[in-house]
Amino acid sequence: MSLVAEAFVSQIAVSQQTAFFVVRKGDFTRIEEDSSLFKAAEPWPENATLYQQLKGEQILLSDNAASLAVQAFLQMCNLPVKVVCRANAEYMSPSGKVPFIHVGNQVVSELGPIVQFVKAKGHSLSDGLDEVQKAEMKAYMELVNNMLLTAELYLQWCDEATVGEITHARYGSPYPWPLNHILAYQKQWEVKRKMKAIGWGNKTLDQVLEDVDQCCQALSQRLGTQPYFFNKQPTELDALVFGHLYTILTTQLTNDELSEKVKNYSNLLAFCRRIEQHYFGKVSSSIKLS
Amino acid sequence: MRKSHEAREKLLRLGIFRQVDVLIDTCQGDNALPNGLDVTFEVTELRRLTGSYNTMVGNNEGSMVLGLKLPNLLGRAEKVTFQFSYGTKETSYGLSFFKPQPGNFERNFSVNLYKVTGQFPWSSLRETDRGISAEYSFPVWKTSHTVKWEGVWRELGCLARTVSFAVRKESGHSLKSSLSHAMVIDSRNPSILPRRGALLKVNQELAGYTGGDVSFIKEDFELQLNKQLILDSVFSASLWGGMLVPIGDKLSSIADRFYLGGPTSVRGFNMHSVGPQSEGDYLGGEAYWAGGLHLYTPLPFRPGQGGFGELFRTHFFLNAGNLCNLNYGEGPRAHIRKLAECIRWSYGAGIVLRLGNIARLELNYCVPMGVQGGDRICDGVQFGAGIRFL
Repeated sequence: MSLVAEAFVSQIAVSQQTAFFVVRKGDFTRIEEDSSLFKAAEPWPENATLYQQLKGEQILLSDNAASLAVQAFLQMCNLPVKVVCRANAEYMSPSGKVPFIHVGNQVVSELGPIVQFVKAKGHSLSDGLDEVQKAEMKAYMELVNNMLLTAELYLQWCDEATVGEITHARYGSPYPWPLNHILAYQKQWEVKRKMKAIGWGNKTLDQVLEDVDQCCQALSQRLGTQPYFFNKQPTELDALVFGHLYTILTTQLTNDELSEKVKNYSNLLAFCRRIEQHYFGKVSSSIKLS
Repeated sequence: MRKSHEAREKLLRLGIFRQVDVLIDTCQGDNALPNGLDVTFEVTELRRLTGSYNTMVGNNEGSMVLGLKLPNLLGRAEKVTFQFSYGTKETSYGLSFFKPQPGNFERNFSVNLYKVTGQFPWSSLRETDRGISAEYSFPVWKTSHTVKWEGVWRELGCLARTVSFAVRKESGHSLKSSLSHAMVIDSRNPSILPRRGALLKVNQELAGYTGGDVSFIKEDFELQLNKQLILDSVFSASLWGGMLVPIGDKLSSIADRFYLGGPTSVRGFNMHSVGPQSEGDYLGGEAYWAGGLHLYTPLPFRPGQGGFGELFRTHFFLNAGNLCNLNYGEGPRAHIRKLAECIRWSYGAGIVLRLGNIARLELNYCVPMGVQGGDRICDGVQFGAGIRFL
């Protein structure tokens, strides 16, 4: 029987079941929403897990930066989390981006929502800030996401040398031929389309590196001689900046221009070293990346 | 006369003629034999390219289906079909090339290219398959064999945010490259609501040795026996079973496992809602069996006898089955024991309507029994439509 007719016939069979099923699933969801307030007040469990791609062969610069930022944030809040590497982490995530954490029954992805989730559980790094400082912190986090993260994505997916030598091979490494090529090309097409949409489609590599330099300059000026961005206590902004800058400094790319731009600012280097020693000193060698 | 009728049937089966007429006349002309007969076949061919357009509505989705067929591409009954289905939720298409061996229709070869998307709410799973397959069929004595190679790129995704973590872990891409062999012996007469005859289908599949990253051996069989009893009633017994053995240390994928339950399987249970599950999402199992005993009788008081009423039957049934995962360290004895404990079964009665020669509709009143924790049941009235029923 033809594909379509088969699908049609099986759809009729399912429709009766689905009506019955949907009522039940709806009940389940309503109960879960009512108890979300209770769930938020549950203590942080011992078995909280953070998922990212395979560290050695698969993960890319931008994803590694995001994952490190979340790990730094959770360390700063003193919340234990186990890091698990899975090849399909990107597809497991509810938003399609890594990293994501699995805490109790909840799955939350990306730094922004994770900060909100952790705040609902009663832990926060930015409680001590006043309204002006909070707005400033949000503005700088936006700067890092719009400039640094986009520059990383540009370098990974739009610079032909990097794509050919590093990105393409790494992204498709867990998959067999020809799936490794198909997925890498699909992702590259997606990122290039996004770049065009935000106006980075026609930028050259030099312009992108200039933008990175300006971003680092702004961060360096804000940091000044303080230990953290908001004086004595680290906030989520510190975690985010650390994640990106540390990853840029320690990742081997086809050329060193990106890390050179960061190395120009000595207070940013000291900042990264300080956070690494303070929060990751015990976890040591796992931070070193190939 | 009989031979010319058989020849006419064979010509019609090629699927390239709209009409075949046979004229038998005494020989005429110069080379006429004294008692000879002229047999003339007059045929009208189908059009070179036919198209069809349907709209389908079902299960909260509407779709538009476009079909194109070239019934006789190169002059030897090669058939090319293309089907495209554009729906509110999903899009699917398929292109197929079919070539029978000239003079021997039972031997044929076909190549298919397809993209099919399915949504499975019982597992909160969405699956997109893009694949290519090549198959060769040939008869051996009374059986029909098919050997097939298939390469499929499968993409699994979650249907809802509240999906269980066990199903979330299966999301992503995988590539299955498999060789399979199927054997069918079908002596049923006719194949929908048969009066007598038997069906045996055995299917083996070996994945992983021709590429891809999924590796397993899968075996499943289907057996059906029918016997006509007094007063136009038919007694039918059927048995299904299957087993999936992953090769290597990777666990089996949710897209390869077997499912049990539903109006076409063990009646009285929700569609595919029996067996291992996690937070309400059914994960399927690596081994299963299902059996049914049916008694089909004509409708009481035989309304519409000889006409419309012949399409209906009343139907009394007893279904049973079990589904589980296997722990391969335990050995076959433990597996058999596991499949024999906690059997789900059901009984009931209903009405069956035959649709053409392929499908049937059923409306049954079911009483499910042996329900285990986690199964979803549909006790009371259950409606089913399909091609393959237990």
